[in-house]
Amino acid sequence: MRELTYAEALREALRQKMVADERIFLIGEDIGVYGGAFAVTAGLFKEFGAERVIDTPISEAAIAGACIGAALTGMLPVGEIQFMDFVTLSMEQLVLQAAKIRFMFGGKATVPMVLRMPGGSGTGAAAQHSESLENWFVHVPGLKVVMPSSPYDAKGLLISAIEDENPVIFVEHKLLYRTKGHVPEEMYRVPLSQANVVREGRDLTVVATSIMVSRALEAAERLAQEGIELEIIDPRTLNPLDEKPIVESVIKTGKALVVHEAVKTGGFGGELVSRIVESEAFDYLDAPVRRLAGLDIPIPYNRNLEYHAVPQIENIVEEARKLHQGAY
Amino acid sequence: MAKEVIMPKFGFTQEDSQIVEWLVKEGDTVEAGDPLLEVTTDKVNMEVEAPASGILAGIRAVAGDTVPVTQIIAYILAPGEALPAYDAPPSAVSAPATTANAEETAPASPAGVGTTSVAARFAAAMGVDTSQVPGTGPGGRVTKQDIEDFLARQPQPSGKVRATPAARRIARETGLDLADVKGSGPRGRVQAHEAAAAATAMTAFPTAAPIATPIIESSAAASSRGELVRVPFTNMRRTIARTLQRSMQEAPHITFQADIDMTNLQALVARANELRPSDMETVTLTAALTRAVAWCLGRHPTINSHIGDDEMIIWPVANIGIAVALEDGLLVPVVKDAGAKGIGQLSDEIRDLSRRARQGKLRPDELADGTFSISNLGMMGIDRFTAIINPPQVAILAVGRTTRMYLPDDQDQPVVRPICTMTLSVDHRAIDGATAARFMADLRRVVQAPELMVL
Repeated sequence: MRELTYAEALREALRQKMVADERIFLIGEDIGVYGGAFAVTAGLFKEFGAERVIDTPISEAAIAGACIGAALTGMLPVGEIQFMDFVTLSMEQLVLQAAKIRFMFGGKATVPMVLRMPGGSGTGAAAQHSESLENWFVHVPGLKVVMPSSPYDAKGLLISAIEDENPVIFVEHKLLYRTKGHVPEEMYRVPLSQANVVREGRDLTVVATSIMVSRALEAAERLAQEGIELEIIDPRTLNPLDEKPIVESVIKTGKALVVHEAVKTGGFGGELVSRIVESEAFDYLDAPVRRLAGLDIPIPYNRNLEYHAVPQIENIVEEARKLHQGAY
Repeated sequence: MAKEVIMPKFGFTQEDSQIVEWLVKEGDTVEAGDPLLEVTTDKVNMEVEAPASGILAGIRAVAGDTVPVTQIIAYILAPGEALPAYDAPPSAVSAPATTANAEETAPASPAGVGTTSVAARFAAAMGVDTSQVPGTGPGGRVTKQDIEDFLARQPQPSGKVRATPAARRIARETGLDLADVKGSGPRGRVQAHEAAAAATAMTAFPTAAPIATPIIESSAAASSRGELVRVPFTNMRRTIARTLQRSMQEAPHITFQADIDMTNLQALVARANELRPSDMETVTLTAALTRAVAWCLGRHPTINSHIGDDEMIIWPVANIGIAVALEDGLLVPVVKDAGAKGIGQLSDEIRDLSRRARQGKLRPDELADGTFSISNLGMMGIDRFTAIINPPQVAILAVGRTTRMYLPDDQDQPVVRPICTMTLSVDHRAIDGATAARFMADLRRVVQAPELMVL
């Protein structure tokens, strides 16, 4: 079985799409000659040249703005924000322009762009290089928000994101870049807004995003030894959310735990819990729906503190076990 | 792929089940659906079937072990397949894991071990689970003061029941009153499995009034020596108590007695036993009476009904429950469509159901869907008695013993006749006195002239 890393899978998606469609170009900081801070675009500058792999000055507003302008004229830009933290500098462009244009022009203009960015902690990069800000964008109608959790999904979702005619915020994870997994060579698609039941189980539904999916899977293996079977669902696209498999799963298990790395307060978990509680799954709930999320603090630089600031495998094991046992 | 065999949740939802015996050995080949093992809940014994075809392996629990539902107890493997890597003998994995877990998640003291005897008695009297009480005594032992503190912390009853949405849905669907259900969740919250168990028990169990009460006997005996003995209710006892109390409170009972001459029905049974083939088991009077009752129910369909919310639900067939006394409690297995069966078949079925009821081997469906009940205490020397209706049924027949009595014949000469007093209790919400009286008149007719049944 052919295995690639998450970073290689992303690169393959970019390359295959660029070969197939001349309208696609990449733009970002140090993505060209240097190959990108996490080497996602390594080799693409050499293959496609400076016109299609564009290095920019350090201006996230310019990257986002250039993408929007190019998209409006019929190009298919894929921008890269070196660390998700700095997308804060692009917010006006993304929130007020990219998300609004299609609506405000009555559908006569579209913004088919993708903005890639790595989020998450775990690399010792401290509070200004470790943010998980995906929910900022979930709150903005007009933007799609995608978070792949595996190499397979990374490639398939990026291809779908590039082909989508709406602006897509594509949130990668620094710690996932080197993880390996099965990735077919052909150009395949993972549809946007289609959740994935990663693991089936009867006792407890875990909805996890990004790196928390693999942590939840490891937790599930440990709990299986105690006879507790987790069902794990990865929404993959946070907005628009495919809530049906989640609701169906909670109807089956009666208990739900939401796990994400972003801080709990105002995090995507609140949205997921609300969707569950508002749905017909309400009548099947047999325990409070719980969230396991990052602590409400900036990510510490100290590696021990950093480790404990976000959910780890053992935290998921303990929380799932307590929820299953009726401790809440 | 190794297929897991788990301890199933049956219709009666339980926290756990005890393994009675494995019917298949490790390494044996099984077909999907084959019985693998027998387990017992607090009510009935049931067989667990193979979830797939293959080879039974990795048995993790043996006869006598009590296993939480949904826990893996074995695997079905394909030929040549190994056990899943994470599986290991229970001694190596489960036991330490459980211990570690208990230490991690349960700061409170385990019941019994870390509880002073005074506290234990007090806790039992107040209905407190000491494992929920943090201990402050020496070595973390739970003291009486701890339990008093614990009780003080409990919220005052507000008239609202703590229950999960799932438990509330089950209550809504089954007509269960959650106030009657003891919840084991945090702060006494009723969870789905508890509501489901109570709802199932509510429809499956209840019945006739007189119940042997070892509790009272032991209390009385003990009090002569100066000490009370408290016997906590079993689940079955709790169900009986709840169901019959509700029936007595909700259903206005009216009773109708008839002294019925059993001569001809006894003769019918005697004749049937003379004629029966050698490979057929004895025909019983109970079966003949059941058949007669079914005949009457056919003529009085409103009595063969359930009472619903503002309606009666009349059943097309007579499913007759036969009360069976157990050592501590009783069960009412149901003979389905008794009107369609001969007295030979009814004899066999009643014999089989009664035997398995005493052995705890009834299946849930054999306790369900009764439309009328018969309780017979004649064999215990009771002349006549009244029974409490088993809801949602609307009537029950209480059968006393048959005694030989002098009666005047046509010429007013005394003759000896076997006489049995039968008492019908009906729910006056659904059934009026005249209907009940006509039913009893027909019962007298058919018992005294059983050939009516072949017309």
